[in-house]
Amino acid sequence: MAHNVRPSGYSKFAKKQTYTRRMSTRKSRAQMLLSERGGGMASLLLVILVLPLFLANDYHYDVAVNIGINAIVVVGLNLLIGYAGQISLGHAGFFGLGAYTSAVLTAHYGLHGLLALPIGALGVGVLAYAIARPVLRLSGHYLAMATLGVGLIINIIISREAWLTGGPDGMYVPLLEVFGTEVYGGPMWYWIVAATLLLAVWLSLNLIDSPVGRALRGLHGSEVAAQVAGVDTTRYKVMVFVISAVMAAVAGSLAAHFSEFVTPAKADFSHSILFVTMVVLGGMASTFGAVVGAAVLTLLPQFLADFADYEHVILGLIMMTVMIFMPKGLVPTLAALARRGARRTAR
Amino acid sequence: MSLLRVENLGIQFGGVRAIQSLDFVINPGTIHSIIGPNGAGKTTLFNIITGIYAPTAGDIYLDNVPITGRRPHELARMGMSRTFQNLQIMKTMTAIENVMVGRHLHLNRNLLSCLLRLPSVTRGDRQARKRCVELMESVGLGAYIDAEAGSMPYGALKRLEIARALAAEPKLLLLDEPAAGLNAAETKEIDEVIVKVARSGVTVVLVEHDMKLVMGISDHILVLDYGRKLAEGTPDEVRANPAVVAAYLGNVGNVGTVGTMGTVS
Ligand SMILES: Nc1ncnc2c1ncn2[C@@H]1O[C@H](COP(=O)(O)OP(=O)(O)O)[C@@H](O)[C@H]1O
Ligand SMILES: [Mg+2]
Repeated sequence: MAHNVRPSGYSKFAKKQTYTRRMSTRKSRAQMLLSERGGGMASLLLVILVLPLFLANDYHYDVAVNIGINAIVVVGLNLLIGYAGQISLGHAGFFGLGAYTSAVLTAHYGLHGLLALPIGALGVGVLAYAIARPVLRLSGHYLAMATLGVGLIINIIISREAWLTGGPDGMYVPLLEVFGTEVYGGPMWYWIVAATLLLAVWLSLNLIDSPVGRALRGLHGSEVAAQVAGVDTTRYKVMVFVISAVMAAVAGSLAAHFSEFVTPAKADFSHSILFVTMVVLGGMASTFGAVVGAAVLTLLPQFLADFADYEHVILGLIMMTVMIFMPKGLVPTLAALARRGARRTAR
Repeated sequence: MSLLRVENLGIQFGGVRAIQSLDFVINPGTIHSIIGPNGAGKTTLFNIITGIYAPTAGDIYLDNVPITGRRPHELARMGMSRTFQNLQIMKTMTAIENVMVGRHLHLNRNLLSCLLRLPSVTRGDRQARKRCVELMESVGLGAYIDAEAGSMPYGALKRLEIARALAAEPKLLLLDEPAAGLNAAETKEIDEVIVKVARSGVTVVLVEHDMKLVMGISDHILVLDYGRKLAEGTPDEVRANPAVVAAYLGNVGNVGTVGTMGTVS
């Protein structure tokens, strides 16, 4: 469009532009399916429905469920990092807290798993809120350091309080019970995690395409401009931090019941880094990028397991290559390519 | 009654007194221009009024309510809006999304409603979009509605700033050099936009170097020099003020952009 427009901002083809714009405000069903919202949700649903046809054994289901659990965390983290432009290197801490709250409350106190999960989510939400106000006043490297510290402290507490958490050895977690049936085995977990992921993606898409979402993206673009437009930027940063922490906690609770065992490794620093890497690789500020990032980085290590000692080196090389050639991440880059392709064929 | 009252205002950055014992009043429904050479403290004054900087001395009243030290988003809620001399564009968003951020305070911002995409949210967004399209067309951005803000030319971004500020429907609008870097035709368009906005009842505070524009549309002019008030009054009074003439206006009678007032900072 750029060369149809004079420097003054007036179009040479003013009429034509208005016409296309009017057309585009009323979306056809085909356009709806091509949009990130409609098309993305439809594709994700399709993948989720079709995927079980290719899952042949417990191990396959195990990987698929782990992809889903990671994707829930990363969709939330992408709201914070990709959209609002704030970094967190401590989200595995919230994931671990969710996991351990479910573990401790169900194993030691006999609480129902479906009660322990929201308690964990609420507890993490309150904690994240308390942490967020002082921490989110910081920015850049300082915010990274502060969130890293938060994650480390959570991890240390989990490791130290062995009487409650089993310490570094971890602890067993009872099975989750839904409507009187115990959730057990890959297929059942697959549908539970898939439904939760769909919910997370739907909420994330809703939020981004709303006044709150525009405020978040706006404060990322220019904090001062957002402020003078009436956005209480601190409040919004806190809000999105809490939302992403709660989503991590929910995923943690599911993970604890799914693997029936938790260890402090769920809350450790490298796990936090992995989540951030998933956001960046999949594509910042792309909800489906978050899902793809989680899928790729959960799958790759499985394929690379045969390379034993070189696994991490190869993983690192693949990531470097992607980031050099697709600095915006997988999904935004591929989406841009597809759009360009579609435009070329349209001409 | 005054809309904005500034009393004995001062701010210091380290040793630099960017604003010193400044008093002035802005009446509602007027175009009030602030002029002065680069570094006179005009942008700093805007930053204080809009709550971005806290002054080290003095008080500011909006509608007789003391607002000194209030934060920018609170002042936005009280009807203040502004543009930035050094563009503050949300570059990863589209042009209309930038303008819609400007409408923030008029929309349903309840978190739960937004998460669940309640009809009130989508309805509000649809109406907001329509309004913002009209607004963009009225400032000459009709061709840029869904353009990526990051890829728009400078002149269009200057207007985008104005559209975003107007979307808030402020009662006090502060424009920091809206015509800087624009050519004569573009400046004239901006000029028309400002007059149109002022006619609709919005009080406009304008910082501008283009003397023709300033003298043509202002009801009142405040001249700043080294953070102090050098003169104020109607355009004719300021033009005739010996201190102003002596300082830098020189031959304002036949106008144009006055050379000694320098370039964009
Ligand atoms: N944040 C700041 N820190 C230090 N000095 C500042 C700051 N903001 C403005 N100043 C100083 O205040 C003076 C006035 O600047 P400014 O308000 O930008 O002038 P104008 O907009 O009239 O050109 C300048 O000397 C500038 O260096
Ligand atoms: Mg300035």
